[in-house]
Amino acid sequence: MDRENILLGYIKDELLRGRKGDLKAVDDLLSNGIIDSLGILQMVAFIEERFNIQVPDEDVVFENFQSVKALSDYLAQY
Amino acid sequence: MVRRLLYLNGIAIVAVILFHSTGWGFTALFAWDKVYLGATAVPFSLKNTPSYYALRIMEQTVMAAIPVFLFVSGYFIAFATGRKDNIGWPLIGARVKNLIVPYVLWGALALLMLFVQGTVWTPKQYLVSFLIGNMTPAYYYIPLLIQLYAISPFIVPLAKKRWKLLLAIAVFVQLLIHAMQFPMLLHLDVPDWLLRLGMIPKWFFPTRFLWFTLGIVVGFNLTSFKQALYRWRWVFLGTAVLLIPLGVLEWEWILRHSGQQWIDTRETLLDSIYSASMLLAFIAFDKMPLPQMKRVSDWGTKSFGIYLAHIPVMEVVARGIYHVAPAVLGYQILFVPIIIVTGMGIPLLMMYLINLSPARRFYTYIFG
Repeated sequence: MDRENILLGYIKDELLRGRKGDLKAVDDLLSNGIIDSLGILQMVAFIEERFNIQVPDEDVVFENFQSVKALSDYLAQY
Repeated sequence: MVRRLLYLNGIAIVAVILFHSTGWGFTALFAWDKVYLGATAVPFSLKNTPSYYALRIMEQTVMAAIPVFLFVSGYFIAFATGRKDNIGWPLIGARVKNLIVPYVLWGALALLMLFVQGTVWTPKQYLVSFLIGNMTPAYYYIPLLIQLYAISPFIVPLAKKRWKLLLAIAVFVQLLIHAMQFPMLLHLDVPDWLLRLGMIPKWFFPTRFLWFTLGIVVGFNLTSFKQALYRWRWVFLGTAVLLIPLGVLEWEWILRHSGQQWIDTRETLLDSIYSASMLLAFIAFDKMPLPQMKRVSDWGTKSFGIYLAHIPVMEVVARGIYHVAPAVLGYQILFVPIIIVTGMGIPLLMMYLINLSPARRFYTYIFG
């Protein structure tokens, strides 16, 4: 499974808990209330554990976490 | 550092549990003492006992819990703003909506519990209680956080361009409000308008404005803050440790000079310095390994739900002990740990069970 689908699955299963079934990779995660402050931190922890990627503090920025697509684009460099 | 904020949040929710457990401990010591000492017990006879000071030290140690929550929330605002000039209102709206739904649910439960105990308010009082969170002593935090989110579009531009000025204002306001508690509590003769500053209720944002602002400013300048604070890390830690006994002494001094046997705990001048030292030490020690990272971080992810749910749980357990096993109230070493374990454990169990049940899709509406 590619990273985009893994991230989508994680958000749907762990953060949304089935609340919104039609989450798309381009959906704005923050403005739509899909994830909050703790959700972002959970995402960082998940990425570090699942993909073994240490996300530097300076990369934990809105632009990289705005959507699943933005996040998987960012992770593509690793 | 960023991932460690989740850990910090986990520590903060444990601190909240400990803080409110001490509240029930004091209730057992002073309000329910006749149950185990007998009807002729002298009021406040258990003051200055080892149990009393153990509770006071515990309470003082965990005083930074709410500042930590607000700091992490402020950090989120910086994150969500990103490279934009300001944070968008839709994001604020989405965040507030996610707070309000569980708050209304648990607030209504708290009011129902009050009703069952015989407390009936007017419709206006019920409405006000949701606005200021006074249905329990702890729910003020949610209206406070909502206010801070609501004013964040006005803070963010300053935090980006004039952060030193913003922090200076926030520190001044915070210290002034807390300093004015001394004349209020000690009945000193100061101008009325100054006295009123000390009376600003804790649900109103100026009383906790500093912590949220600090989170935003640190969020925008994390790297430079980490570098600048690193050399002072032991100073921050040492100050925090020193302020635990000093904070206890400060409150005892206030109590003694106020002429009262008891005053509900409130954040004081030294408490503010303690919270600041703890937060700055945490940022400065960003390479230090943290014990139980996964477990505590997991509590951090559930902190809002635990915060809301532990209040009725603690009340039911404490009052249950009062009615079923009142002798336990006389042993703080037994009573307080029961409150701590159930206050933390039952909300976690509720979350676990709901997550497994068909009600899972409502989880976010219940626990945030």
